[in-house]
Amino acid sequence: MQILQGTLDLMILRTLTTMGPQHAYGIASRLQQVSEDALNLNQGTIYPALVRIEQRGWTHGSWGKTENGREAKYYAITRAGLKALDKETERWRQMSGVVEKLLAEEQ
Amino acid sequence: MAHLSRIFAKLRNLVANKRAEEDLAREVASHLTLLVDEFERRGMSPEEARLAARCAYGSVEQAKQAHRDERSLLWIQQTMQDLHYGLRTLSRSPGFTITAVLTLALGIGACTAIFSLVNAVLIRSLPYGDAGRLVYLYTPNPQFNLPAEVFGPAYSDFYDLKKESISFQDMAAFDESVFSLATQGSAERASTARVDGDFFSTFLASPQLGRAITPSDNQVGHEKVALISHALWQSMFASSANILNRTLLLDGKTYQIIGVMPQGFEYPHYSDLPYGNAQYKTTQIWIPLALTPHQMDDRDSASGNAVARLKPGVSIAQAQAEMSTLMARLDKLHDARVHGWGAKVENFVDSTVGHVRSLLWLLLGAVSIVLLIACGNAANLLLARAASRMRELGVRVALGAGRSRIIRQLLTESLIIGLVAGGVGICLADVFLRVLPHLNPGNIPRLNEATLDTRVLFFTVAVSVLTSVLTGILPALAVSRINLIDFLATSSSRSVAGAHTRVQSTLIVVESALVVVLLAGAGLFIRSYINVVSVDTGFSQSTVAMNIELDARYSQLHGVEFFHNLFARVEALPGVQTVGGISNLPLSNSEDLREFEVDGYPNQKGQLVESCGVTPRYVSAMGIPLVAGRLFTQEDKSDQSVAIVNESFAKRYFANRNPIGGRVSRENDHTRWSTIVGVIGDVRDSALEKAPEPQIYELDGDFEGGYIAVRSTLPAKSLEATIRSTLHSIDPSIAVGDIQTMADLESEASAQRRFQTSLLSVFAGIALFLALVGLHGLMAYSVSHRTREVGIRMALGAQRTDVMLLVLKKAALLLALGLVSGLVASWFATRAIQAFLFGVGRHDPITILSVCALLAVFGLIAAIVPARRAASVDPMQALRTE
Repeated sequence: MQILQGTLDLMILRTLTTMGPQHAYGIASRLQQVSEDALNLNQGTIYPALVRIEQRGWTHGSWGKTENGREAKYYAITRAGLKALDKETERWRQMSGVVEKLLAEEQ
Repeated sequence: MAHLSRIFAKLRNLVANKRAEEDLAREVASHLTLLVDEFERRGMSPEEARLAARCAYGSVEQAKQAHRDERSLLWIQQTMQDLHYGLRTLSRSPGFTITAVLTLALGIGACTAIFSLVNAVLIRSLPYGDAGRLVYLYTPNPQFNLPAEVFGPAYSDFYDLKKESISFQDMAAFDESVFSLATQGSAERASTARVDGDFFSTFLASPQLGRAITPSDNQVGHEKVALISHALWQSMFASSANILNRTLLLDGKTYQIIGVMPQGFEYPHYSDLPYGNAQYKTTQIWIPLALTPHQMDDRDSASGNAVARLKPGVSIAQAQAEMSTLMARLDKLHDARVHGWGAKVENFVDSTVGHVRSLLWLLLGAVSIVLLIACGNAANLLLARAASRMRELGVRVALGAGRSRIIRQLLTESLIIGLVAGGVGICLADVFLRVLPHLNPGNIPRLNEATLDTRVLFFTVAVSVLTSVLTGILPALAVSRINLIDFLATSSSRSVAGAHTRVQSTLIVVESALVVVLLAGAGLFIRSYINVVSVDTGFSQSTVAMNIELDARYSQLHGVEFFHNLFARVEALPGVQTVGGISNLPLSNSEDLREFEVDGYPNQKGQLVESCGVTPRYVSAMGIPLVAGRLFTQEDKSDQSVAIVNESFAKRYFANRNPIGGRVSRENDHTRWSTIVGVIGDVRDSALEKAPEPQIYELDGDFEGGYIAVRSTLPAKSLEATIRSTLHSIDPSIAVGDIQTMADLESEASAQRRFQTSLLSVFAGIALFLALVGLHGLMAYSVSHRTREVGIRMALGAQRTDVMLLVLKKAALLLALGLVSGLVASWFATRAIQAFLFGVGRHDPITILSVCALLAVFGLIAAIVPARRAASVDPMQALRTE
């Protein structure tokens, strides 16, 4: 399944709010896990989204250690990120609502 | 649009942030490690785990590239946003924007204008092929105690050097002459270069039309050919295409025109040769030098200018060594009485522009100071504005903009201001270049060729960007250091404003210090200029002088007769008092140095004196005062039996004796003596700034051409016209050269000083104006932010005058700090202009005092307006505001 344009940002922000600061691998694994592997994404493909939301000031990246002592860059959601998440979530709800309605009428 | 962004992204990658790149590589590596760990935990072998991780991750390069593109895309989007936002905010406060733009435009414009001069004169290469390999050759003789450049090689030496040397690719001899060029029914002076067959090949110059002068043109019988300059082709022949069939009449002889030189080639110019002919501005005609066999064999009297092109790879030092060796041998062939002829090879470019190099760099330094002051002002404006924008910026921070984002926003705004100012500055520089021909002192080569070419425009853009950064960085840093969110919470602007005024005050102090340095420099230049123009030249300003030379049609006898006739007819004109003739007029850049001896004085070998031949009434025509004895009379014989000397001569050689009746000799063998009959006043002869040298005047009863001085009560213009028509009625084919009053000649001699002094003064004036505008702005700003404080003070009983003094005191403190540091700085900085000063020391107290007074008076005027505004504050209203 291909990811819809623009939804990856929302998914990443959401992952970060529920799980707390995460590294790229953690985020990617979580997305795969939640989608029950329906999202067949190469883990590398989330990088552009990561840099985009970091540059917008929605996340803050810093280097830290995993429980196994490996170094990794952790992304934490910022206040601006939380606000953006609310807005994006609202937008997604409206959008999917519209699509849902349309599809329901079709049947 | 997306396509365009993509291109921008690629461009941005060229300057990709190194740290971001490293960070990315590290993150990808860490990601892969975590994946491998996971696969190993699931029981894979390390090798399998590595492959599986790769597979799960996908293409590393693709991920990195996507990351990069995304990174750049945002950078571009933000820049666009910043630009858009910047333009909007700037257009919302037009007063601020216009002031900032004009301030910087003045600075950038001044820099661009001066750089265009530097570019034209010093940087743009001369239009003579690889000019760096051109050299002048001289054969100086230390016996005469004169500069090497006086001694062009004797033709015989020149041709021997040419035959034997191996350092040069080409060598050419040439000479400057002024001919009477016949024009329609009349004649005018034409600066002509007589050049040998290798002249044009040495300069790698070829005609735009026709052919150059070749060695075969230099053979006797073939020499009546001429090349003309582009300017002459336009003015005299209306750029006729048929030019190669036309002829020129020079001194009554017909020359066939064989070519037209291109526009840039007018060598030699007046300023090209250190001892060039003063009647010469640029060359209009080139004709063959056509030396006779006798001249070519002459090793002692006939000489010319020599220019050569070094072979590739040969250094000046090598050429000098070779020349010296050759001259050591040729010296032995010279006349037995004078030996010691050496060799000197001089860099052509250095001799052409060397004398103005330091002046131009100095002017560029001065405009850089103006630019710095302009930057300081603009920075102050931005700081003041940033303080009033705290709320807006605070909101942006609260919305998640980082510190670097705010800095970038502010820098973008100053960049917009800087670039617009650069555009305006280019227009200002263009205006300057239009005025320039009127300011040109005439002795700075190629000054009028200054244009706003690509190099100048590139310089302007670079300066504008640099200016923007200088201007913007301080306010941006100051703003970003403040915790804006706290600021929003307290919603008070006072603490912030306080922090800012310290920076602003420092800027004002630095600006005033820089102004003091410029004012001191300009002051010293003005003092020097006043000293130069108030030099007592020793001759009358109103005397009209001109140069008249006869051509080969006149025999000696006819020549003498011609001038007797001319003098008599001019003297008979109503209003004319006296007419005299002289071989070398003062300030005409020509002199005749002769060996001489004084009876009863310990004479030295090779002792030289300037000697001029004059007609009996020259001294009175020039208004030179008689100090002792008598002037020449018509009864004196011109057989050198009598002489007149100037005061310097009398002082040096007749220290405790009466010069009248003393004897001098100017023959090489010192057998014939002339008796001194009179002593006359000193005149400034070679330059206004050079102390008078000893001179001997001898009577020339058989005047055959040279300078003529006319003293009259007529206005110069009408006298000029009458003389021209008188000459025309005697012989219409003789031209009058350089007709002007001695005052004009004097003004020409001080032209370069006028040029440098007026430029520096204008720059200092602009700098002073800018600094005062800055001071006024700061005072007004701080008054407006202290309204409340002023209100409290007044409510507590302070008088209006106290409030005014409060403001004035602060302004005075800043000015005083600036003045003191400026004086200290100029104490050292004036060393750079030492060489430009005349009759004034670089620590001249009058200049220093004037600078102090100027700054104090204008500074207080600038501060008085805001001070009065502070004093007029209504205490009740002030307390209610904020």
